[in-house]
Amino acid sequence: MSSTQSTASASTKTALSPHGERIARRYQRRRRGMDFLESLVYLSVAVSIALFLADGGAVYFINVTAWSDVTRGIGIVLGLVGSDLLLVSLLLSARLPLLDRVFGHDKVIAQHRKLGKPVLYLILAHMVFLLVGYGLAENLNPVAEIFSMINTLPDMLLAFIAMALMVLVVVTSLVIVRRKLPYQVWHAVHLLAYAAVLAAIPHQFSNGQLFADGKWARWYWIVLYVGTLASIVIFRFFVPIARSLRHNLVVSEVRKEANDVVTITMRGRDLAALPAKGGQFFNWRFLTPGLWLESHPYSLSAAPDGTHLRISVRELGDASRRLLAMKPGTRVFFEGPYGLFSESARTTEQAVFIGAGIGVTPLRAMLEDPHIGRRQATVILRGSTEEEVYLWGETYDLCVAKEAWLRVLVGSRPHGVQTWLSAEAYNQGERLTTLAPNIVNSDVFICGPTPWTDLVIRDARRAGVPEHRIHAERFDF
Amino acid sequence: MRARSAFFAGAGSVAILAVGWQAGLGALSSALPTSNAVASGTTGTGSSTSNSNTTPTQPGASPSSAPSASAEPAPAPAPVTPTVADGTYDGAVVNTRYGTVQVQAVIAGGQIVDVIAVKLTDADRKSEAISAQVAPMVHDEVLAAQSAHVANISGGTYTTQGYLQSLQAALDAAGFTG
Repeated sequence: MSSTQSTASASTKTALSPHGERIARRYQRRRRGMDFLESLVYLSVAVSIALFLADGGAVYFINVTAWSDVTRGIGIVLGLVGSDLLLVSLLLSARLPLLDRVFGHDKVIAQHRKLGKPVLYLILAHMVFLLVGYGLAENLNPVAEIFSMINTLPDMLLAFIAMALMVLVVVTSLVIVRRKLPYQVWHAVHLLAYAAVLAAIPHQFSNGQLFADGKWARWYWIVLYVGTLASIVIFRFFVPIARSLRHNLVVSEVRKEANDVVTITMRGRDLAALPAKGGQFFNWRFLTPGLWLESHPYSLSAAPDGTHLRISVRELGDASRRLLAMKPGTRVFFEGPYGLFSESARTTEQAVFIGAGIGVTPLRAMLEDPHIGRRQATVILRGSTEEEVYLWGETYDLCVAKEAWLRVLVGSRPHGVQTWLSAEAYNQGERLTTLAPNIVNSDVFICGPTPWTDLVIRDARRAGVPEHRIHAERFDF
Repeated sequence: MRARSAFFAGAGSVAILAVGWQAGLGALSSALPTSNAVASGTTGTGSSTSNSNTTPTQPGASPSSAPSASAEPAPAPAPVTPTVADGTYDGAVVNTRYGTVQVQAVIAGGQIVDVIAVKLTDADRKSEAISAQVAPMVHDEVLAAQSAHVANISGGTYTTQGYLQSLQAALDAAGFTG
């Protein structure tokens, strides 16, 4: 079964099967959703500026009698746009199921990260422009104006504290990402962002003339804030807790898969009602001494069957031993399912799955998805050693059942060449296009360590795979 | 984002901004200090223009000053000490970006002896703070100059302009020409 590729090109490019049509329609819907949601962001920025104009804000810029007016006008607009985008950024991190379905968790979070710095700059500029503007108006330098504002205006002390926290959150996020500090440190710092957002709210309503009592703009702004904060509370806290309680997940089996890989099977109530698909991930929290404080993202390593969820985890040393020591019956709290790294992301019938090491887990689970039909999948697995082609037996059996094309590349990479292939395969002239000849007409699902994944993506692009058909899930050790 | 959606997002944004602008026009016309009469030195216009502008938002706020002031042709060239009746004259209610301003002029013996601030810019607490700081300065300058033609207090432009404009209307009402 392992490498018969004779029929690969027969099924595609021609008229779509009903199944293919379903996939195409679903993808069209998703594209429309993307465009709609993206448009909403632009429109919301326009609305925040329109609120300013509707309140007669243009007075700052026409018939100008003092430069301080223009400066203050700019400062107010910057603050409005900045906080609008801050709320967008918060919504992006709120785990909204709609965003996850349309864009996928990784893209949403990538956008959330991208917004961090611009939002900070906008709000910093808001502060600076207003300090300079009011400073000019009162003949104070901007620093002295800080104290003037704190003394004469309500809620400004809180606002300055919020600004300081916001700077702290963004700076530490950048430093932490660069230095690869532990997740827990980053998370603790990130929680300060909530404090910053909350502390910044009062001054907007007590000093912002736009949002003065009795104006309808006040209600719009309140709805934005309440909606965003409610989404966070509901989808980040309430839903995970409710689901964990409802499904009452407990560990039913812990199996040693390889030296450093553990497969954990969990049993739960009503799991058929959980909208999870093979390839998605959850944040898992095992309620056992020593583990309950940490939650970790792991992909499902088997498609959910309505009664069980299964993950396969590669952990080195201590962590692995602690997982192995878990007893059946251990309660599990979870957040999820998250991600679009599943059959739902397909845009066409054919799929190529490329995985390295423990990266096989979501691919194996996806392959098991009933929506992946026979002769639709090509599977390429990598491992430095034979043992590192994890879940080999199961994956092989699934490939047989789905009549998938399977290629396994074992051994280290060649020296001096930027490639994701094994030295052996590389020297024999194998390339992505020889391993998966129909890749141009396929979705490509890639899961592995980041540098390796980037190389596969590079080759897929070179082979002519369009960007929207490249789906990657990265993990770092 | 596809081109068509980008177009709709752009057009929608422009439309929203246009609606905002349109909605703002009403606020704009009443928000600006309504004339440069005070600053430019042509007297006699302050009261009538400001009244016509203020009536939509401040119905009946300044009935006392309106009739007499508008009837009075201001340019009185006489250097002779004018005969102005002693009393307290209401100034016009002047709308500014930061709230309405109205003052009263107290005239005794042909002199401005006091200016009473009835209402100063108070749209937000910042404006209140500025008003509290600026108004006494304008007040002193007016008494010293015996006129509404005094320098703008920087940092309190709206307050100053509103104050002087309202004052000018009161002086016009009194027939006070300095």
